[in-house]
Amino acid sequence: MTYFLQLVISGLVVGSIYALAALGFVLIYKSSRVINFAHGQFIAVGAFVVYALVAYLGVNVWLALLLSLVSTALLGFLVEKLFLKPLVGQPIISVIMVTIGLASLIDGLVHLTPLGGGNFSLPKFLPEGGIAFLGVSVSYPQVLAVFLTAVFLLAFGWFFQRSTLGAAMRAVADDQMAAMSLGVSVEHVFALAWAAAGITAAAAGFIVGTISGINLEGLVAIGLRVFPVVILGGLDSIPGAVIGGIIIGVLENLATGYLDPLVPGGGTSEVFPFLVLLLVLWFKPHGLFGTEEIERV
Amino acid sequence: MKRIATLLAMVLGLALAQEVHLMWSGAITGPTSDAGKYYAQGVEDYCRYANAEGLTGGLKIVCETRDDQYNNANTQRNFEEALERGDPAFLGYSTGGTLQLKPLIQEVGMTFIPASYHIGNIDPPNNDYVFLPIASYSEQVIALLEYIAKEKPGAKVALAVHPSPFGRAPVPDAKKAAAQLGIKIVEVQEMTKGLDYTATLKRFANEGVEYIVYQNVAGPVATMVKDAKRLGLNIKHAGAHYAGGPDLLRLAGDAAEGFIWVTSYYMPDEDVPAAAFVRKLGKMYQRPADTLESVHYPSGMLAAAIAIEAIKRAHKAGKPVTGDAGRAAVYQQMLGLDFDPGLAVGPVTYSKTDHVGVDKLRVLKAQGGKFVPVSEPFQSKLFRKVHYGK
Repeated sequence: MTYFLQLVISGLVVGSIYALAALGFVLIYKSSRVINFAHGQFIAVGAFVVYALVAYLGVNVWLALLLSLVSTALLGFLVEKLFLKPLVGQPIISVIMVTIGLASLIDGLVHLTPLGGGNFSLPKFLPEGGIAFLGVSVSYPQVLAVFLTAVFLLAFGWFFQRSTLGAAMRAVADDQMAAMSLGVSVEHVFALAWAAAGITAAAAGFIVGTISGINLEGLVAIGLRVFPVVILGGLDSIPGAVIGGIIIGVLENLATGYLDPLVPGGGTSEVFPFLVLLLVLWFKPHGLFGTEEIERV
Repeated sequence: MKRIATLLAMVLGLALAQEVHLMWSGAITGPTSDAGKYYAQGVEDYCRYANAEGLTGGLKIVCETRDDQYNNANTQRNFEEALERGDPAFLGYSTGGTLQLKPLIQEVGMTFIPASYHIGNIDPPNNDYVFLPIASYSEQVIALLEYIAKEKPGAKVALAVHPSPFGRAPVPDAKKAAAQLGIKIVEVQEMTKGLDYTATLKRFANEGVEYIVYQNVAGPVATMVKDAKRLGLNIKHAGAHYAGGPDLLRLAGDAAEGFIWVTSYYMPDEDVPAAAFVRKLGKMYQRPADTLESVHYPSGMLAAAIAIEAIKRAHKAGKPVTGDAGRAAVYQQMLGLDFDPGLAVGPVTYSKTDHVGVDKLRVLKAQGGKFVPVSEPFQSKLFRKVHYGK
């Protein structure tokens, strides 16, 4: 029973990191219907900014995180203004190609710095070990991941439900034309969504970097790993990103724990969540919480 | 006046020297670029040094490092370009790229020195022209098993390997060797880069695993050893060349303490001429601290040194060193190459039947934040027995 509990708790923790990484993805899609293939690069930039500030300038880790959140928000804002805004009204494939190009551009720029291609880790800023209960162990970076995910979830929940700007973003997500006719600046909303996505990406990068080290490829890979999460949860649903992340995280762990011994070489955690994903999409093609778009002619 | 004349003669000599191109194609960006970036710098720096110090037999070796982004198609394109230009040898990188190119390498007869130590690179078929710089992954893993068998007779071991030909390479030989050593391989687990290995580790612990032997890259291994420490598991960790080293120490910190590692290279901080030479070159060419700390930097140097030595010897023997004849001449030199460039724990020796350069390995252990040798350089006889049956 302890074994099962450990797998589930570890899965919940990993899932919450996926959820944090997926939030930015959903924020952009929700407001602008753009799938950002450069999201992994945003995550990497967030982690590298923290590391650079701490390692080269001796900035406190928490202050570095704050500055990183601001930097990636600014990056998201600028990316939208420079690359995405001119594409408003263009075919979606053009927008997708721009985000793929953006991913290559950011990769290249990171490789021009001393950080590209290396393995780095942040100096210790959390206590050794972790929390243990009922025979289950969770490390402090993992606790921090759950905490940050909860904070961002609550913050965005409040923002979308209670703030005027949040209501404007929801309006744009629902119907761009109607929102524009009501005087909502769609351009402003798009830029804001990219900035918010940048913030969550930096938080995810910080967490992933703390847990498994700072390496461009590893961080970018997390950006790709959230694809099944957002598809399962629904591309435009914030609660869907969280629940999708947790489901994928738990399924990965259960597969490793119970299915790997049955398969030579193991590795079922790479496959099993996708099988479940396919099954879910069979019955819920828009994901568990995605908006069902019905077009009538 | 005499000095000016000497200088002029040197400049003129270099300008008039025959140019021979040598290309390295590997991952400066993309997957495994954490190794490829430093490997490329090693190739570049040794090449500059060899030209500057006259180690090229009067030739001007023009080394080119190409970023193939760990993409086999790019590797092949680079290889074909080098072939068309008439390069006499080629420095490769990945397991996939080398295995894919083997038939072409065999067809054109180009000496090929990869950074992948997969035994399949030098096993038949199409294996005549591929030369490993150091002992194979299979020999590395068997060397670890031999060490474990001495430390804990009858130990229960799990193999945690990369889900690729690179990772799976040593598994069959390791299983045979374990049977001979009285070690029990409880499980072979393929592991990608993940955020948490609790499930895998708990399962290993439930199965009574005492050692995990990694044939993987440093990133996932670091997360695994950190998780094992957090879970308080009494499991020891050991890894082949690309699983450990300074990268692992940087990523895993204290959790890497006690990690058993096997490689043919010296550590950058060791008080030996090889490490001093690597430090000297790094400083001479203004490489940053992370390059000097990387074990992949001398790895790149060794690959370049081998190719340059073979080209130099072919030239000294009066043979052509470019084009079809150049490839054949350099290959003939490779078959009899026996020299010590002073970059690893043993000399480089090749023959028609031995395509492993540095045959010796050392076992090291992470102690006090650095890897210290716990064995003298040795060759694994058991590897030869289980792989070649002799």
